[in-house]
Amino acid sequence: MKRRAKQLLNDLDQEIREHIELATQENIDRGMTPTEARYAALRKFGNVTRVKEDAREVWSTVWLEQLGQDIRYTLRQLRKSPGFTAIAILTLALGVGANTAIFSLVNAVLLQHLPLRASNRLVVIWISNLKNGWSRIGPAGQDYLDWKDQAQSFEDLFLFEHGTGTVTGAGQPEQVSGLRVTTNFADFFGVRPLLGRYFRLDETSARHNLVVLCYAYWQRRYASSPSVLGQSMTLNGEVYTIIGVLPSDLATAFPVDVVVPFDNDWLKRADSDLGVFGRLRPNVTLQQASSEMNELIRRIAQQRPDRKDYGSVLVPLESARVEYIRPALLLLLVAVGCLLLIACANVANLLLSHAVGRQREIAARIALGAGLGRLTRQFLLESTLLALAGGISGLLLAFWTTYVLARFIPSRIPVPNAADYVSLPSIHISAPVLVFTLLISLLTGLLFGLLPVFQTLRFDVNAALKEAGRGSSSGPRGNRTRATLVIVESALAFVLVVGAGLMVQSFSRLLQTNPGFNSSHLLTLRIKLPNDAKDSPYKEPRRQAAIFQRFLTAVQAVPGVQSAAFTEIVPLSQDDMDMAQFVIQEEPPPPPGRHLASDFRDVTPDFFHTMGIPLVHGRVFTEHDNLNSPRVVLIDETFAQRFFRDQNPLGKHVQVSDSTRPPREIIGIVGAVLDTGLDQRPRPTIYLPSLQSPDQTMSLVVRTALPLSSILPAIKNAIWSVDKDQPIFNVRPMDQIISSVTSAQRVAFLTLVVFAFLALALAAVGIYGVTSYAVGQRIHEIGVRMALGAQRSDILRLVIFHGMKLVSVGVLIGLLASLLVTRLMIGLLFGVSATDPLTFAAVAFLLVCVALLACHIPARRASRVDPMVILRYE
Amino acid sequence: MSTREEKGRIELLQGTLDLLILRTLLLGPAHGHAIAKAIEFRSDDVLQVEQGSLYPALHRLIKRGWISVEDGTSENNRHAKFYRLTAKGRKQLAAETTKWEQLAGAIARILRATEERE
Repeated sequence: MKRRAKQLLNDLDQEIREHIELATQENIDRGMTPTEARYAALRKFGNVTRVKEDAREVWSTVWLEQLGQDIRYTLRQLRKSPGFTAIAILTLALGVGANTAIFSLVNAVLLQHLPLRASNRLVVIWISNLKNGWSRIGPAGQDYLDWKDQAQSFEDLFLFEHGTGTVTGAGQPEQVSGLRVTTNFADFFGVRPLLGRYFRLDETSARHNLVVLCYAYWQRRYASSPSVLGQSMTLNGEVYTIIGVLPSDLATAFPVDVVVPFDNDWLKRADSDLGVFGRLRPNVTLQQASSEMNELIRRIAQQRPDRKDYGSVLVPLESARVEYIRPALLLLLVAVGCLLLIACANVANLLLSHAVGRQREIAARIALGAGLGRLTRQFLLESTLLALAGGISGLLLAFWTTYVLARFIPSRIPVPNAADYVSLPSIHISAPVLVFTLLISLLTGLLFGLLPVFQTLRFDVNAALKEAGRGSSSGPRGNRTRATLVIVESALAFVLVVGAGLMVQSFSRLLQTNPGFNSSHLLTLRIKLPNDAKDSPYKEPRRQAAIFQRFLTAVQAVPGVQSAAFTEIVPLSQDDMDMAQFVIQEEPPPPPGRHLASDFRDVTPDFFHTMGIPLVHGRVFTEHDNLNSPRVVLIDETFAQRFFRDQNPLGKHVQVSDSTRPPREIIGIVGAVLDTGLDQRPRPTIYLPSLQSPDQTMSLVVRTALPLSSILPAIKNAIWSVDKDQPIFNVRPMDQIISSVTSAQRVAFLTLVVFAFLALALAAVGIYGVTSYAVGQRIHEIGVRMALGAQRSDILRLVIFHGMKLVSVGVLIGLLASLLVTRLMIGLLFGVSATDPLTFAAVAFLLVCVALLACHIPARRASRVDPMVILRYE
Repeated sequence: MSTREEKGRIELLQGTLDLLILRTLLLGPAHGHAIAKAIEFRSDDVLQVEQGSLYPALHRLIKRGWISVEDGTSENNRHAKFYRLTAKGRKQLAAETTKWEQLAGAIARILRATEERE
């Protein structure tokens, strides 16, 4: 209330006193006695208290007070039926909580913009060669330089390369992940450093040796000390100067430890698999840029034959980051939306039954003159209050769920076949999530609140009052609404359970997939020789091979190690890719423009034994297959089938294209391995003995019967006994690698199964509620039937038939809907069709069983009715 | 709970009282008791208003901005509140008066017509 109003009301007492005194004085002047005069004045004035109240009401906002009354009334109503209130709130909490949790995930992954300038105009540029089946490969340094000169569609281009480096000097040697970037980094992304500065455009020479730290690494290694600027760190044996620190909000965009600039000379030599981003000019569309790039690459190919038959693939950066995970998230969003609708249907049902129970009260109020508007408001208020209570409980549930989700969902989800990961930002309940929760709570309140309003307010007051003595009935319309709700619920539950059923099948098939090797009791770790360092002792290939051989000997001597081997790439690890073109010496060369391509793997002789990869023909490598002996290779079954069909590959020779290296004889065929993902097809693979093809980075695979954690220190010490400065990284049991490659499916699988259970439970409660209600309504009829000689089994059948009729319709509708909805899942399913008839049949059966159970309880109660008791009440 | 008809009656009474107050204040500012007396006197005691109901009506008119209130001294030298018609109130009075006269005229015509038929 305003101050003026307060003042007026405060002065009112005084004003009334004055008024009455003046009137009394006048009466005395007219000849009354003082007592008479005063009474007459008071009588004429009227009820002082009421006058004051009326004056107060002038200034108060009436609707607000009425709202207060209504809220108090509604709370009283809800308190009067605690069971109803609790079930309604719990149901809503499940629906809202699940939605909030999933939305917080979707919000974090799909809806957040990267904190980069014009992030919606940033695109990733790949090159492709469809003739060779390469849909997306990283360009070379020369491509970048050519494009930067000639491409018109972009304001600027940016080049980067992911890599790892070794940090030595302080404590244990450490492997860090790094980004090598062009020096336009700061300007391209429009980012500011947290501390210090980024690179200047002209700092492109290796002799500068500058490094920028990423936030997490700065925190971990330097305890967030601001004095790091100007300090030096030893990276790959060279001394770098720390010039800046990246802010923490760039961690999602650049999930690495350090950032260093490209050296210009090196850039010209970098032959492939670099990353290029472009920032589109504001008025250029993706299609325009795409066609310009394709045209440009065609033109460039006239000077550079190695780019013949290449094209470009442009994808917006923000969708490229999430394109692998998006279908799974959208699926979850649909699923959780279904769950909310089921919850709504259930609560609407509850509210409807509840309102019908109160029909007599409502009829009395209408008869006494209650406005329909106010009644409607009260109903909506009731549903809104319930929805808000459900929303708040749901929020609490979501807090807990996101906590669990955050532990369950890996922060990185590997992308099959791309040696890449989707980085998931941390999930938390943020402001947009809170707004979302509030909105869906209010929306659900409106949704399930309006239905009973239409139902209840349309009934005949007279009839309700007359019937009130006999308990009430809501008439055919109310029954039809309830029936519809049951049908909708069963249909939605069917869709959800089918989705979960398909996921269960798909996931179990995925886990049963034989990856081509024995994955249990296998430990892997990675070693990268510090070759980039100036004084590295391993620059020479022979020395690389020798040091790995010494590591291996030391590890093999560790007690508990059954066997150990080195491989360039651990299957399923997504660590790296090594693909190349080759020719078969004994075969005619492929037609011009076509190439044979295969994966290449350098392994030590014991690799196949350690991994449990079977030898199919010929022999595996031995220690004698070294640089002094003839060059040999092994091929896998996929390679043999694709390139030799029914011929015998043994004794044939393969040669890597465009290379001066000698042809290599095929000496054996080994089993195929699923290298890129359990749901992927095996790819043709050539194995080379690492003694003849040394590498800088190798992964150790160890088979042991001991618990992996107990043997790991001994293995590390064995390696450090050979070279104490050798960093060891990516220590992972094979089980962990497998669970990592299946994480997208696992998340979808677990969440869907939980949702399906909830949906089934809610649907069962809904069916139970409606059947119970129907029994309550027909209790007279049942009594009469029994009095006339109906058997208990007849009554049982009557009630169950009524409920199951609705459920069957729901299942039928759900079946048709599922045929459409499960299409969303095709990309996530493995080894099972999206319309798998077995799953559909099983789910229908399950749903019918649950519904039978839900109908059976009230049906049995109905059949136990004593007709005498019922009829006596007539 | 109040029904719609009750509310309607109250509003009719309120409206009339409001009009009378405005009309009274047209002659100049006055305090509460004086307004009550003026209404009774000028209607030849036909309109017997419960004098107390004057005050909520005055508050309502202040809230709508049709009258203003100021402190002053009453005829017996006591502190009193004086109510004064605002420009907005003057306009409102003119509009209400026209409406009221049309209504009164219409009712009078109907009543007369009925009398003539009788």
